[in-house]
Amino acid sequence: MKAAVNKHEVVSEAEWLKARKKLLVKEKKLMRLQEELGLERRNLPWVKVTKDYVFDGPNGKETLADLFEGRSQLVIYQFMFGPEDKLGCPHCSLRADCFNGINVHLKHRDVTMVCVSRAPFKKLAAYKKRMGWNFTWVSSGNTDFNFDYHFSFTAEEMAEGKAFFNYAIQNPGHAEREGHSVFYKDKRGDIFHTYACYTRGNELFNLHYHYLDVVPKGRDEDGRGPFWVRRHDEYDQ
Amino acid sequence: MKKDSSNAISNHPIVGHEQWIAARTAFLAKEKEFTRLRDELSRQRRELPWERVEKAYVFDSPDGKVTLADLFAGKSQLIVYHFMFGPDDKAGCPSCSFWADNFNGIDTHLKHRDISFLAVSRAPLPNLEAYKQRMGWSFMWVSSNGNDFNFDFRASFTPEEVANGTADWNYSKQKPGSTEVVGISVFYKDPDAQIFHTYSCFQRGVDMMNGAYNYMDLAPKGRDEADQRPTMAWLRRHDEYED
Repeated sequence: MKAAVNKHEVVSEAEWLKARKKLLVKEKKLMRLQEELGLERRNLPWVKVTKDYVFDGPNGKETLADLFEGRSQLVIYQFMFGPEDKLGCPHCSLRADCFNGINVHLKHRDVTMVCVSRAPFKKLAAYKKRMGWNFTWVSSGNTDFNFDYHFSFTAEEMAEGKAFFNYAIQNPGHAEREGHSVFYKDKRGDIFHTYACYTRGNELFNLHYHYLDVVPKGRDEDGRGPFWVRRHDEYDQ
Repeated sequence: MKKDSSNAISNHPIVGHEQWIAARTAFLAKEKEFTRLRDELSRQRRELPWERVEKAYVFDSPDGKVTLADLFAGKSQLIVYHFMFGPDDKAGCPSCSFWADNFNGIDTHLKHRDISFLAVSRAPLPNLEAYKQRMGWSFMWVSSNGNDFNFDFRASFTPEEVANGTADWNYSKQKPGSTEVVGISVFYKDPDAQIFHTYSCFQRGVDMMNGAYNYMDLAPKGRDEADQRPTMAWLRRHDEYED
């Protein structure tokens, strides 16, 4: 990416506008493709949730139905924070810095957004306080939830390096993985699993990358992935 | 925005797990293709030529008068969010406030990628600071009141341009709804301190930077704005929702 900033082509305003307008056409095309995909995503079939999941949250025991908080749509961010971990994952923490302030708006679109991790609730609450976040975060440590939705993997799966992850048998790399899952609750109280995404499927929600994608150096990671990420209170340590 | 088919919610097809996995896996291929197209477009964006910034702009900041060069805060890349807050407005635009609820807090991470991120508006600095305090935000916000910055980078228009529909908005002649419009502009400062304008986007060009909309796109109802007049009629400032 270094070439992107060294000896970069510098032109007149008229030339710049010409090139910018050409790119705008492509940007609009991509946006329309994104809309098409959104439509197609919402037309995916659903699966009825038949298991009773009970989470540990700020209000004690909470069922999956309780997590909807009276709304019909539930978006869960699976935050990597395993039972033995001392702290939440730094990369998930960066993502949380993106969605921390938007709950208030989502709930006015009939969407409740919460985080789920396998670490005990006490650990989640302490870490959330340290980071200054306000979203709901519940523990799935006493349920099969994370395993059923392919966000946590057993010791056997990890030893073998084989698990069903991101819709293929592969090595998930870590016993806890990040991602999103979406549920719908109908008027009768039936709950349906509508969507889940993993790995780069989560990138749409990482605003840092959207901003990095408009600057001259881009992500500037030299193929190393997000090596630069720290928890927001750890950069200067 | 395309309208969802009528089965988006009612009578939605319900299938078994295996069948769902098959449909989801087929759709994943399209999502991956979209991710790759996005990567390719970002690459092309970085290949756009730059234009040199010749004019000296001076802004009002919490630290007093600062130049465009100062706004880089020692970084080589500057992202400006053009926040709609005109000289005579009593409060910042609700829609920009929604976007700000998304980006507030991320400047901490961006500065570790050689980026200074801030908001610019034409309202006087005391108005920006009072509103920022009310909303509980922490990002840098400076006033371009008195300089041509917003006009030069097509984020503000004269009342005549608005009235006549001759505003040069989002790279075509249009009639914006007000003298202030939303946008993002990007600048680069080289080791010799020369400043270049590298990129700007307006209107739906800022869509991707709204995580809440990206989340709505995942949910069964989508953005669900078909019956909203205007499109974002549901939106309030975060302290103005009734419940």
